[in-house]
Amino acid sequence: MRKTLKTLTLIFFVAACALTAAAQTPDPGTTGAYAVTREEYDYGNLAFQPSGFPSAVEVKASIHHPTDLTGGPFPVVVFLHGRHSTCYGKSGLASLRWPCRSTETVIPSYQGYDYVAQVLASNGYIVVSVSANGINAYDNNVTDLGMQARAELVQRHLNQLNTFNTAGAAPFGTKFVGKIDLTRVGTMGHSRGGEGVVKHYVHNASLGSPYGIKAVFPLAPVDFNRPVVNNAALAVVLPYCDGDVSDNQGVHFYDDARYNVAGDTGAKHTIQVMGANHNFYNTVWTPGMFPAGTSDDWNAYVSGGTSDSQCGTVAGNKRLTSAQQRGTGTAYMSAFFRVYVGGETQFTPLLTGAAPPPASAQTTNLNVSYHAPDVAAKRRDVNRLLASPDLTTNTLGGASAQTGLTPHDLCGGDSPQPQHCLPSTQSTSRQPHTVPSARSSLRGLSQLRTGWAAGGATYTNDLPLGARDVSAFEALQFRVSVNFADARNATNAAQSFSVVLTDDTGAQSTVVVGSASSALFYPPGTTGPVPKVVLNTARIPLASFTGVNLSDIRSVKFQFDQTASGALLVTDLAFASAP
Amino acid sequence: MHIERNAQVLRRGAARLAAVACLLLSVAGAAFGQNAQTPAADQEFTVTDLLKLPGKVVARGTNTTPRGLMKLRSYRVEEVALPRVTNVEVGGQRVEVTKAFRVTLTGAFPVRALPAVIWLDDVAIGYGIESEDLDEITVVTYDASAIKDGATIYISYGDKENKKERTALPEKLKLGTEGVKP
Repeated sequence: MRKTLKTLTLIFFVAACALTAAAQTPDPGTTGAYAVTREEYDYGNLAFQPSGFPSAVEVKASIHHPTDLTGGPFPVVVFLHGRHSTCYGKSGLASLRWPCRSTETVIPSYQGYDYVAQVLASNGYIVVSVSANGINAYDNNVTDLGMQARAELVQRHLNQLNTFNTAGAAPFGTKFVGKIDLTRVGTMGHSRGGEGVVKHYVHNASLGSPYGIKAVFPLAPVDFNRPVVNNAALAVVLPYCDGDVSDNQGVHFYDDARYNVAGDTGAKHTIQVMGANHNFYNTVWTPGMFPAGTSDDWNAYVSGGTSDSQCGTVAGNKRLTSAQQRGTGTAYMSAFFRVYVGGETQFTPLLTGAAPPPASAQTTNLNVSYHAPDVAAKRRDVNRLLASPDLTTNTLGGASAQTGLTPHDLCGGDSPQPQHCLPSTQSTSRQPHTVPSARSSLRGLSQLRTGWAAGGATYTNDLPLGARDVSAFEALQFRVSVNFADARNATNAAQSFSVVLTDDTGAQSTVVVGSASSALFYPPGTTGPVPKVVLNTARIPLASFTGVNLSDIRSVKFQFDQTASGALLVTDLAFASAP
Repeated sequence: MHIERNAQVLRRGAARLAAVACLLLSVAGAAFGQNAQTPAADQEFTVTDLLKLPGKVVARGTNTTPRGLMKLRSYRVEEVALPRVTNVEVGGQRVEVTKAFRVTLTGAFPVRALPAVIWLDDVAIGYGIESEDLDEITVVTYDASAIKDGATIYISYGDKENKKERTALPEKLKLGTEGVKP
């Protein structure tokens, strides 16, 4: 009875915290005060020759901006669409050539994100969406699948904006002179454009960072070559029902960046959107919104996909409508760029998971992960779980120990770890963190693979002297997924366990993870690339650990006492605060 | 004068030699790029060249009934005589080759973010390149040993380890009695 009461009190407390955060966090996806003008510039279909690329490509883009530019200079966001057919004929059949034939019409993929551009521009941003059809027509012919070309194309457009901002140029004359702030730039790339904007970040840095890229947002991206963003904010969207990038390989961007550079000031996020596919983020790729080349990629590309209970079309499926999906795009792109490019920090709780999705997201069924900057006041890693010594001595130098857990090993990282964490009966597309890359031999995410078959199992990390005062942090967090391939997890049932903090007096405080976080859901679906394991952040506010001295915590213990058995994949145990 | 003319001839010869060497290297590199065993050694431009070089059809399927989401129909294998002997890596070994092979699948192919992987039995021979009209997808390989009579031809999208989400063509590879030789 007392235990039930305590649990209920905790649930109430956590829910109250979330509600408070939600109440205090405005919706970034709402239309702002600025009237918006949409224009385009077009310097020709073959106006730019990327280095080492088989063809010249177009320099063409849309530009959304506040109609009244007197409040400028405004920060900039650049969009880069992904790979898609480029032209269509009178019969409606799509093709992949550039330029299009005179009898064909161009498929304007760059126009497919106008819905987000409109919102951002109304809130005081200049948003440029770049056409990249010429690259799409030839990118499979080059080694890196067109990523350097995409990077150079984005840079070409930033150079153009720089010209608009300094001397002015046709077709705008001098209207943008002094109105474009190229020291505050964000980039969003969808699909192959996702890796394109990451590669662009690296390219811009290689040129001495002429433009201030503050934030990079790969949306349902590929990651063929494994470039990395460090010292800038990163957010990766992972659509659970992606039928094109069905292996969610873009999670490598987050995983690879985490500990790549000491002192990395960039915050990292993933947003796993349950029920979302690949194409609905672009209106030009969405059935019913453009006359040719559209598809619901899950149904079109996944064999037997329509019958999947989660992602298919059968009754009771959990798919988002295209409008809902665009809602998630609007909400989280807006939040991300407004925080990291515009400095509008009131939206930060949406990106750390401290606040639930805003109304504009049109769904609550998504999972946000957050990796804080490598700054002492923002993140203290308890156990990075990168190599076998971490199984006995954690990142802080304290003891790491377990009882009753089997296996209790690391998988997915560099050799000698096994390459994958799930048995070979599971396809690589169900294991995004370790899926091989087309043009890189790098391995994947090192994960703790653990499980229990009886009560009393524990996993404990001691905090050594000098690391015990955690009172300044906002949360204890780790990334975790239910290992659906392990039969100790009941099918379609969420897992749970307790986290116990013990202080210098031996006092303990316990939080049930299942009450504080939805990260322990059982990955749904049964067809092709689903179910899949994506490790999401379980975030437990430190304020919910009551009755212990947070300025002298001696250990963090996972106590597997909520279910009779189970199996998890875990990494990134840390204390963290908002960036 | 005479010496100077000889020097010019020598310089011209050296330049030609260098140009030929460059061409050889680039062709070899290109083939690498489409070879399942050695993707890291790709060179960019010559994949396009290898797609354009004339080829001799050494195998061709006959199925006309579309199958599955990609409306897969048939295939053809072409032997491509290279302009000159080329040193490439096949299966981890450096070898000299005079031929490449184009394996082309016919159907209706989507333009996807993930690259198409073409398989002969369990060998991923490379990433495919769509035709402009999206009715064919072609991969180039130097590995003659992969082109085996009776091999099942598959296509998948994504990585070269994922054998669980492949789609097989309706017919197996049927070579003439002579097969193909490196």
